[in-house]
Amino acid sequence: MAEAVLTPITQALQEGALSRKELKALMQRSDRPTLIRLAIWLALLIVTGGMITLAMDSWLLWPAMFLHGILLVHLFSLEHECVHYTPFRTRWLNDVAGNICGFVIALPFQFFRYEHCDHHTYTQLKGRDPELIELPISVWKYLWYVSSLPYWWAKVKEFARHAAGRLSQDDRTFVPKEAEAAVIREARVMLGLYAAILIASAVSGWWGAIWYWWLPVALGEPVMRAIRLTEHVGRPNVRDMRENTRTNLVSAPSSFLCWNMNYHAEHHYASSVPYHALPRLHEKLQGYVYVEPRGYLGAHLDILSQLTGRKRRSDDRPAEGMSLE
Amino acid sequence: MTGTEEKAAPEARGKTWQPLIAVADLEKGDVTPVTLGRRALAVYDTVDGIFVSLARCTHGGADLCDGYFDGRHIECPLHQGLFDARTGKPLAAPARVPLRMIEARVVDGQVQVLL
Repeated sequence: MAEAVLTPITQALQEGALSRKELKALMQRSDRPTLIRLAIWLALLIVTGGMITLAMDSWLLWPAMFLHGILLVHLFSLEHECVHYTPFRTRWLNDVAGNICGFVIALPFQFFRYEHCDHHTYTQLKGRDPELIELPISVWKYLWYVSSLPYWWAKVKEFARHAAGRLSQDDRTFVPKEAEAAVIREARVMLGLYAAILIASAVSGWWGAIWYWWLPVALGEPVMRAIRLTEHVGRPNVRDMRENTRTNLVSAPSSFLCWNMNYHAEHHYASSVPYHALPRLHEKLQGYVYVEPRGYLGAHLDILSQLTGRKRRSDDRPAEGMSLE
Repeated sequence: MTGTEEKAAPEARGKTWQPLIAVADLEKGDVTPVTLGRRALAVYDTVDGIFVSLARCTHGGADLCDGYFDGRHIECPLHQGLFDARTGKPLAAPARVPLRMIEARVVDGQVQVLL
C-alpha cells in the first residue's frame, strides 16, 4: 500500500484556497471545447501548410516552415493534457489524441505518461524529478538548451535504447517493470513508422514529410524549449508548490496554442482540472501561486538575471528532496 | 441500494457494522471523504449504489476523494490512475493494485460499514 501523501490540491482544500464544490465544478470534463479548439488549430495548420506550398521556391520557405513548426510543436501541450486525461471526457479519445501527438513530435505517449507522473510527484526536486531542467550555469548553456540540440540528442539516445530493448537506470526510476515491454514496443512501432514514411518518400519521390513535418518541427522546437523553460526553471528546488512553479500571464494566442498551460502552477495544483478551466482556477488561486505578470518574456528575463548575477540564483540554497520523508 | 450485501455472521470475523455518514450528507453523485477513527474512507455515490473504500490511492497515496468521479470510476487527482469505484479494480495505469473496498450498507438513511 502506498504511503499517504499530501497532494497540492488536498493542501489547497485544507487551507481553504478553494472549496470542494468549486474544485468538483472545475474538474468537469467535456469533449466539445477540445474538438472546437482542435478544429481551429487544424485550420491554422492548413494555412501555414499553404504558406509552405506557396513559398516552396523562395527564401520565404524557411519562415513559413518556422510558423508551421510552431503550430506543430505545440502538440506537446495537447499531448501533455492527454497524459492527464483531461481534454476529452471520453477517456479513450485522450489515448488516441495523445498517441497521435506523440508520433508527430517524437514523444512516445506511454513513456511520457510514466515520466510525467514522477514529475508531478517530485516537482523540481533534484535527483527525483525526471523532467527537471536545471538552471543553466551560463548564458551560453541557456542558449544551448534553447537551440534544442541537447533535446534531440537525448531523444535519439532514448529511441535507440528503447528500440534495442533496453531501459536506463533513470528510465527504471519511473517506468514500472510491468510497463517496460510496452515502452519498448512503443519505441519500435514509432521508429518503424518513421522508417516506413522515409522509404515511401524515397520510393514516391515526394518529400512532403520533410517540408511539412520534420523540418518544421525541428525549426519550431526551440520555441517549445523556450516555453518549457518558463514553467519551473529559475524557481527554487523545493517541494512547496507555491514556490517551485511559475504561472505566466501570456497573450490570448499564446494561451490558445499552449492549451492554457501557461497557468502552470494551477495545473500542478490540480492536474485533474482540464485546460479550459485553468483560467477559472487561476482566479480562485490568486495570491496562492507564483505568477509572472510579464509572461514568457518576463520569465526569461528572470532566468537571465539569475545567470548574469543580477539576481540570486534559485539553486543557490540547499535543495530539498532526495526522499519523501 | 448498497454496494455489498451483508455476509453471514460478520461478528464471527471480529467485525461489526458501524455508522459512517447519513446518506443525506453525501455529495450526490460524487465521492465524499469520511474519517472513521484513524481511517480515511472514500464513500462513492455510484450509479449502482453506495460503495466505500480506503481513501488513499494504492499507487501514489493521494486522496482519491479529491479526484474526478464519473459515477462509476474514480480517477486519482495526482496521476490520473483509474479505479472502478464499485469493485476497487485498477483500470488504467499507473494504478495496478486494487483499492481496498469496505463492505457497506444503508440502514435507516445511514451508511454503515463493516469494520
